[in-house]
Amino acid sequence: MSHSRRAKEVIPLKKIALGVGAWVVLLTTAHFTMNVNWDVLLNDRLPEAKRKLNVAYIPVT
Amino acid sequence: MTDYISAYSQAGHLFVPRLFQGFPEIKEALMSNKMQAAFMVAPMAIALRAQGVPVKIVYLGHRYGSAVVVRKDGPVKSVADLRGRIVAIPSRFSDERLIIFKALRDHGMNAKDLRMVEMAPPDVAGALAAGAIDAFSMGEPYPSQAEMGGFGRVLFHAREYWPDYISCVLVVRQDVIDKRPEAVQVLVDGIARSGLWLEEKKRIREHRLHAADFVGRYYFRQDPRLLRWALTKPIDRVMYEPLSPRRKDFELIVRLMRETGVLDRDIAFEEFVDTRFAEGVRTPTPWKYEAGDTKAE
Repeated sequence: MSHSRRAKEVIPLKKIALGVGAWVVLLTTAHFTMNVNWDVLLNDRLPEAKRKLNVAYIPVT
Repeated sequence: MTDYISAYSQAGHLFVPRLFQGFPEIKEALMSNKMQAAFMVAPMAIALRAQGVPVKIVYLGHRYGSAVVVRKDGPVKSVADLRGRIVAIPSRFSDERLIIFKALRDHGMNAKDLRMVEMAPPDVAGALAAGAIDAFSMGEPYPSQAEMGGFGRVLFHAREYWPDYISCVLVVRQDVIDKRPEAVQVLVDGIARSGLWLEEKKRIREHRLHAADFVGRYYFRQDPRLLRWALTKPIDRVMYEPLSPRRKDFELIVRLMRETGVLDRDIAFEEFVDTRFAEGVRTPTPWKYEAGDTKAE
């Protein structure tokens, strides 16, 4: 009896892979949302005439 | 400060603001065309143009807003006490350096009487608190930071020695001015209107408190309480009008740069300033903007 219960408790490899995959997707999405400035990234790839002007500033009045 | 509302209220249609922590990095980014425009200290812009870099000053960022700060409990009680001390400045090409020369001259001293060190603006308050420097000459909000922290005291504000003092100016690459003058005009219009909004007489305090909140949180990434202090104690500590570049202001800067050895030739006002955008401001009225609005008109 204890032998069969132990067999049921083993998590299948597929489930582990799915869990890890979901975690990686979640972290990657969070990273791209919070840490990548898409405005800047996309703007730099536009043709020069259509590009927004990049304006540098420093946190001084 | 002046470009925040126009940048976000118009959904950044024409420009993308990029945060830097020091002026040398801004200079490099402008020269390499990573940045097409920049707010930088006026002497640096003049020096770049004198060295042949194709950029022009088209507008000012603000007036006043710089101060020399010393340790609150330190031995420096007057300008004369700066003799032999270490004073931090943002760059040798800065108005914050020139204001020290002006103050020293008024007290019969010169630059040899103290030691100036270049330091990134965000580092100066910590350096003063730690005793690594005896004073700093810097734009807001760093003087406010030292005051708020309880370890710094303003020795003098720039306006005490330099009426109509200017520090940060808007610099644009010449190729952008030539190819996209409409975009430059919209940028200048937005800054002019933001300046008028910050100076709107009946609501000046309210607008400045709003500005401190949203600029602190979303733009400067600084504690809004710090900017509230910088923008309201006193209310004219930093001024956002008039922002048109004036000949006599810049001729004074050029003269001081020549006298203090950071400019090796005279340079005409027209060579480094393009006044057409300031003269061409289309809507000289403050933004209609309330805190939290997603659009300004």
